Amino acid sequence: MEFFSNFVDQFWPQTRNGLTLGSIYAMIALGYTMVYGVLQLINFAHSEVFMVSTFTTLFAYRDWFNVVAPASGVGLLVLLMGGLIPAMIFSAVLAVLIERFAYRPLRKRGAPRLSFLISAIGASFFIQYLFVLMDGQHSLIFFDLPNIAGPSPQTVPTVMETSTVFTVFDTPFSNKRVIVILAAALMLFVLDRFVRQTKMGRGIRAVAQDAEAASMMGVDINRVIVVTFAVGGLMAGAAGFLYILVLGVPAFWFIGFLPGIKAFTAAVLGGIGNIRGAMVGGLLLGLVEAYSVPLFGAEWTDVTAFVVLVLVLLFRPTGIMGEEVGS
Amino acid sequence: MAEETPVKQDRTPSDDEAGRPARKQTWQRRWRERKADLREKRITQTVRLRTTISKDLQPVTGPLAKLRAKIEEHRKWTHPLIGFLLIAVAALLPYLDDWMDLPLWVSRVTSGSALARFALFALFALGLNVVVGFAGLLDLGDVAFWALGAYTAGIATGAHSFTQARISGTEEGAEPVFAMWMWGILLLALAVAVVAGVILGSPTLRLRGDYLAIVTLGFGEIIRITANNLDGITGGPRGVRNIPHPRIEAGGINVEWGTLLDVKYYWLLLTLVALWVIAIRLLDHSRIGRAWVAIREDEVAAAAMGVPIVKMKLAAFAIGACTAGVGGVVYAEQVGFISPPTFNVVQSILILSMVVIGGMGSIPGAIVGAAIVVLLPEMFRGLEDYRFFVFGLAIVLMMIFRPQGVLPSKRRKAELLGESQGEQLYDASHAGS
Repeated sequence: MEFFSNFVDQFWPQTRNGLTLGSIYAMIALGYTMVYGVLQLINFAHSEVFMVSTFTTLFAYRDWFNVVAPASGVGLLVLLMGGLIPAMIFSAVLAVLIERFAYRPLRKRGAPRLSFLISAIGASFFIQYLFVLMDGQHSLIFFDLPNIAGPSPQTVPTVMETSTVFTVFDTPFSNKRVIVILAAALMLFVLDRFVRQTKMGRGIRAVAQDAEAASMMGVDINRVIVVTFAVGGLMAGAAGFLYILVLGVPAFWFIGFLPGIKAFTAAVLGGIGNIRGAMVGGLLLGLVEAYSVPLFGAEWTDVTAFVVLVLVLLFRPTGIMGEEVGS
Repeated sequence: MAEETPVKQDRTPSDDEAGRPARKQTWQRRWRERKADLREKRITQTVRLRTTISKDLQPVTGPLAKLRAKIEEHRKWTHPLIGFLLIAVAALLPYLDDWMDLPLWVSRVTSGSALARFALFALFALGLNVVVGFAGLLDLGDVAFWALGAYTAGIATGAHSFTQARISGTEEGAEPVFAMWMWGILLLALAVAVVAGVILGSPTLRLRGDYLAIVTLGFGEIIRITANNLDGITGGPRGVRNIPHPRIEAGGINVEWGTLLDVKYYWLLLTLVALWVIAIRLLDHSRIGRAWVAIREDEVAAAAMGVPIVKMKLAAFAIGACTAGVGGVVYAEQVGFISPPTFNVVQSILILSMVVIGGMGSIPGAIVGAAIVVLLPEMFRGLEDYRFFVFGLAIVLMMIFRPQGVLPSKRRKAELLGESQGEQLYDASHAGS
């Protein structure tokens, strides 16, 4: 059993990798699950919300801060914030725009459900290829598109030297991984409190439980929906930034596709519509994916995630923690 | 009601504005307004739905309408005749350039290879139209079945083993390929695609419709990754080469298909499209077609009336899958070389955009949609880079402004414009106003 001993050898490092990746999936999954809660709709364009944050990070580092070498101390802190905050803002703006232009007109008309899904996939396609066209050589009728993205992957400048912070079970934790896990934990905590303790959060839960009744009780549904999209966008934006930071992958117009599907899998795994479920599901999926590396080989991780999705749908379609949102 | 008792009169809204906290009245008033709103909306909806339907029932006036009515009256022989004429015209299109001087942008479109590509995608669109348009299921993984068909052809003809042998330098004695089997392989690919569709569909079709969308989206990518990883079976990233061109060799007849540009591929695909149109039309007017309508309009009611929901959805999904599988075989034969990057998600979305632009649930719509998506970029070659961008935008705009498509089917138009009673999202336009 060669692959089993492989698995035992790599257990702790893969647990670490799984937790890092899983916390990023959890953050993206929140966007899916919250939108599902209030609209009963899978937001296919959510992966593009994630994608746009990677380009925002690239743009911030390459064109605003002109990062050439990794920084340290206060400079690093400024750089991290300078990458994170614009990424979150732009993603949230995009998410709200998607809601405004791709969903709201359909919602007003009371269109059948299929229309929403098709409109979402169209919006996703449109945004992807908008970024492909942004290579500085194309223009739309009235104005030239800026040179931000383009068809090939764009390397994001490294802002941070990797170093080991501490070691557990002979497994070194790098500073980047620590930042990702801590930042994700903090944001998930804040989000949880937001949904459970603020007035707006109560509105979101009310709409998720029964939209009609909520509107009769004075909840402004349109506002709740916009806020939901914005919050999902903020989370996806932060996730995109952290993804780039920890994996060091280049920004790419297609980068959102696989994390998007996996985050959706995570949301289903935890019980779609269930916010805490999405967090648990994200971590779990990250772990499953990481453990599949020593078991089946790195080229099969994406397939593993997909098989998990089908198995969950087959045996427990309501997810681990159930589907309810309002609770 | 307020006039009946003096006590209640005290609590009219005008009194509330005097400064008394009046929470109860506020939500009661809102409740009443909301109910009135809903009633009004229901009436307008009904009226709208009726007008859409009654347009089709208007009395026959004008010569054109009379002709149309005449054609409908004798549909038994007029419809096949029209179909035959259309096929004949379509089959002769590649020769148009020889007969008359066409401007460059037209002759690009009427070249055999462009038309073959159009016919291939028309076939895919017809298949997807059954899934999306007839059964109302969103399938975003059509390309997976296309890939399955193509790889079935690549492996079953022996082209794959031949490619492997050539790579390892042991081609001596390796039999290249079995060209005569192509027609059997067409059936084999059909079976493979149907089996794959049933395996994928049976767990997901029981669930909410949106799950199918994301599962198929993932499946498309998984098939591509798998084809890329399984070096031994699919040739991995190097793909499969030397897939034979089809040939008919029976008695005195010997028809051989040649290279990529051979116009015979267009005719082969056109034949398949014609066969598919006939089959799908028959299906649409059969028990199965009516079951699909019932499911689309109200799934719960359909189930209550004894329509086997999952079976019918599975049937639609399998038909979509086998169409893509057959198309995949012809594609592999024509191009002669297949590799994983061809079968990416973009293709699925393109096929979906054909169905959406043409008109969901409309057979001529699917073909026109394919013509728009395949042939328009061919006409405007300078703007090729923009085509995916434009089609993405077109999908969204179609959904907002013309959900029934360019060439709508009557029944589907009424459904898409009016509100279907089944699955629908609630309308939040009233909220908070």
